[in-house]
Parts: sequence; structure tokens; C-alpha cells
Amino acid sequence: MIQVEHLTRRYGTHVAVEDLSFTVPTGQICGLLGPNGAGKTTTMNMLTGYLSASEGRVIVSGHDILEEPMAARRQLGYLPEQPPLYPEMTVEEYLRFVAELRRVPRAEWAAQVRRAMNRVAAADMARRLIRNLSKGYRQRVGLAAALLGDPEVLILDEPTVGLDPAQMIEFRTLIRQLGRKHTVILSSHILSEVSAVCDQVLILSRGQLIAQGTPDQLADRLAGRTRLRVLVLGQASEAAAAVRNLAGVCDVQAEPEPEGRARLTVALDAGAGPQQQAAVSLALAAAGCAVLRLEAEALSLEEVFLQLTGEPAEEGGEEE
Amino acid sequence: MLGYALCAAYVLVGGLYFWVYNLLNLYPDFGYTLYGTTFAMLVFIPILTMRSLAEEHRSHTDQLLLTAPVSIPSIVAGKYLAMTAVFTVPVAILGLCPLVMRLYGTVSLPKAYGALLGYWLLGCAGIAIGLFLSGLTDSPIVAALATFGVLLLSYLMPGIQSLFTVGSLLAVGIFGLLAALAGLLAGIRSRSLMLGMLVFLALCAALAALYGLRSAALTGAFSALLGALGLFTPFENFIYGIFSIPAMIYYLSITALFLFLAGQGLEKRRWN
Repeated sequence: MIQVEHLTRRYGTHVAVEDLSFTVPTGQICGLLGPNGAGKTTTMNMLTGYLSASEGRVIVSGHDILEEPMAARRQLGYLPEQPPLYPEMTVEEYLRFVAELRRVPRAEWAAQVRRAMNRVAAADMARRLIRNLSKGYRQRVGLAAALLGDPEVLILDEPTVGLDPAQMIEFRTLIRQLGRKHTVILSSHILSEVSAVCDQVLILSRGQLIAQGTPDQLADRLAGRTRLRVLVLGQASEAAAAVRNLAGVCDVQAEPEPEGRARLTVALDAGAGPQQQAAVSLALAAAGCAVLRLEAEALSLEEVFLQLTGEPAEEGGEEE
Repeated sequence: MLGYALCAAYVLVGGLYFWVYNLLNLYPDFGYTLYGTTFAMLVFIPILTMRSLAEEHRSHTDQLLLTAPVSIPSIVAGKYLAMTAVFTVPVAILGLCPLVMRLYGTVSLPKAYGALLGYWLLGCAGIAIGLFLSGLTDSPIVAALATFGVLLLSYLMPGIQSLFTVGSLLAVGIFGLLAALAGLLAGIRSRSLMLGMLVFLALCAALAALYGLRSAALTGAFSALLGALGLFTPFENFIYGIFSIPAMIYYLSITALFLFLAGQGLEKRRWN
């Protein structure tokens, strides 16, 4: 379990992380999400004690990272964005070195190293020099190193960046497995990964925590605003006019399609339910536009993210 | 790989000097031979120490070290002892030379091994300086050049010292510069321009007083300061057969000072 209280980091006048507070209970996987420069890596560096905070506290398994550094660091396993590997060592040599650093008793080194290598499926590379490994294997070795000493908390900075899709899926499965016994904090800007793997998501932007919750909660956060995608048989302008003034409709965009069809995107207000969808289809039918297809879309985490971080939204080319 | 190469090169140099001085020219003094090889330290120590901390900073492997449950003193000690071990190997091999000499004549073994000990301590102090300088930069090359520069200055210190025997005015000038540096550091540390200026002015006043009242003392002090920076001069005692305890304490103090500073440098990165 890790508690963060009012964590702040300033570089001169620039504030990299501002007043960040959150708690990750044991056995939970927490995702830190944010655009580049949001302060994710700085936060992680402060959590592990690599950087000191300008203000605030980090408490790892009951130990303050600055006041009881040895005890706190024993419970931390860190995989930074660039795994800190020594290219001239072999995988096994490196992991033994890390085992020694992590105060693993000498008698257990061989067993723990073997176990870590097996967990990340890198055992066949044991005698290979690290400089000769591919990016995917280097990530795995880095993760194996973070697992040595069986720390309670694992902090992973963009663990799947640079991996190919198959490796990404393997990694995510591994992280989910690890999440059962360890507390995991991972950072990413791959939203699908975060929503697939994490129990709790924190969205950071420009050093501030702007949203917190489970992936579903965050997606619901914009009050269930749904979008309807409708394919009708009729004129685009007529269809749009029919729907525009209905109660509960915020916005309509219409585009003509070949074969006399039109595609409509209808944005509904918060709290819109099936009655609203029914009203839309009835209104279209009454205007002479037969409804060929009607799909309701909840806002994806991507859209929540983009809206919350104030980035310009990328609609699928349907808005001017 | 580098360790082996360095050891081989060092044994080569030492062996060459041993052959020429002691075997060909039948010089019975091993200390003198060692003194001749001290120039090799100017190359050996920078190359040995350049990567120690600079490479860690550059490839970010210091993240591994600083987030592990190991204290900074143990990191510094670990790196230092590893490098000292690499240095000790050629020194130990050269330690066989007096025994070889003994086969052919009379050699004072205590004198020879006393000189070897002084030599070893000299190297250890140099390595500590190299470790500290390596920690100041991200580039191993810069670290090597800085270490080389510092050791070279140290090596040439007797010559430099002789340039400054005349003119206490020059001594005042140099001390004045040091006072300015002290004022600057004080000002930066306390983030107060006022304090920095006060420190500088106070030191200048003290200097002026000294110059007015005891200018000879000032030149003497300056000469002593330079002398303290000469790493290679205390070793000369050992060549003359003097088992100089002050020299040993000097080397041990330099080692301790620079290891402490190296640790401080690492600690500073955390707070930066």
C-alpha cells in the first residue's frame, strides 16, 4: 500500500507536480495517465525516492520514503522508462547484482533470479549479454529486476512502450497476475491498456490531478453523455432538421452518403436514456427518413481523457 | 576487459623502469624506480575512474542504485574498493621486484616495501579524487580530462610553487580571488547576495590586515597552500627511506575527503 500526501515538486519557478494526493491499497493496480509533460515520470521518481519532493510525503508500506529510506525502498520495485541495465553484463549476472542490491540473502539469490526470469519468460536468455538483447527482452529483464526481493509495491513507468502487440498482450497479462499479490502503479499514455488493466486511474495534466476513479467511473463521469450514430435513408438536411429540435438533443451533424442515405451523429444530453433514442428514431421516421441503423456510443476513456486534459478533440472528420 | 588492459599496461611501465634502473644500471633503490613510474598514474587513474560515476549518470543506471535499499556511503565505498582492487594488482606484481633484486645483491626490504606502501597510498588518494570528479559530470571523457588536469597540476606543483616565492602581492591577489569564491559560494548557498558580499568583504579586510602587518606570513601561507595540493611530494619522503607517518595521514585524509565529497555529489542529485 502506498500513500501520497500533497506531493509537490518545483524546479525553480516551474511547478512540475502540484499538490498530488492519492492512496493505492494493497493488491490494486493503479494507472497514471497523462499527456507528455504531465508529471508522471517526475511523480514516479518521487515515489521511489530517486528525487526528493519540494513538499509532501510518500509513505510506502507504512514507511516514509525520506525518513525511513532503507525500509521503504526494500518494499519498492521500480522499472523506469529506460530500464537501468548494464550492457556489458549477462542477464543472469545483472539479476544477481540486483538481488544483492536488494538485500536478498545470498542463499536465495539463485532461486529468486530463476523465479524472476521464469515469470517474465526470459529464462532462455540467461547467458546472453544484455547489449545483445532486443527491446522486448530488455523490458522483461528490467521487470524481472523490479521483482527481485519480492517487494510489495511495483512502480512501472511506461512498461509496454516499444513492445510489439504480442509482447504487449503478454506484458499486460503478467501485470494483471502481479496485481493480485502486489500493489502496482503504472504509467502509460496508451488508454486502452490502462482501461484494460487498471483498477484505478489517475489522470494528470500539467502536474495536477484532474480526475480519479475506475475506468468505468471516468467514462461515466461526463454524465453518461451518449452519442447516437444513425444511418438513414433520406436527405441529410431533412434528417438533421427533424432531430435537431428534439428535447435532449445537444447537437446533430449530418453527412450525405451514397445511394440516397445519410449518416447522422446525434449528441444527447446527460441523462438521456432509451426514450430519447426512441424519440429520435420516431422523429426521423415521421420526417420520411427510414432508420437503417442506430447505435449508441458511450464516450470512451480516450474522449474523457482528451476532454479533461483540454486537448483539441479529434472527431472522426465529421465536424467542421 | 579494461581492467585487465590497464593492469597489463601498468605492469609494463613498472617493469620497464625496473629493468632499466635496477637491473641494467644496478641501482639498489626500488623507491626511486617507483617514483619514476608515478607519471603512469596520470594516465592510469583517469582511465580507471572516468566511468565510475559518470557512466552511471549518463546511462541512468544510477536510478537502480539510488532506489535500492543501499546507502550512499556503501555505493561510494563499493565503487572505490573495486577500483582500488584493480590498482592493487599491478602494485602487488611490482612488489615482487625487490625480491628479484635480492637474488643479485643486498637490498633493504623494509625501505623498498615502505616505498611501495607510500606508492600504493598515493594511488588510492588519486583514485578517490578521480571518483569525485567522475561524479560531477555525465560524460566519462570530461571526467577523465578533469582528473588528468588535477593530477597533472599536482604533479607539477613543486615547479609551480617555485614560481611564487617572490612577491606577497601576488599571494594577496590569489587569496583575494579565493575570498571572492568563498563569498560567491556563501551567497549561493544562503541565496542571499548580502551574506555573500559580507563574507567577501570580511575576508578582504582580513587579507589587507595581514598584508599590512605580516606580508611574509602571507607568502608563506600561500606557499603552504600550494604545497598541500601537491599530491606527489609527500611520496618523496618514502624514497629517502623515511617512513613518514604525516605523509600517510595526508594520503588517508585526501582519500577520506574526496570520498565524502563524492557521496555528497550523489546526494545532491536527489535534491536537485
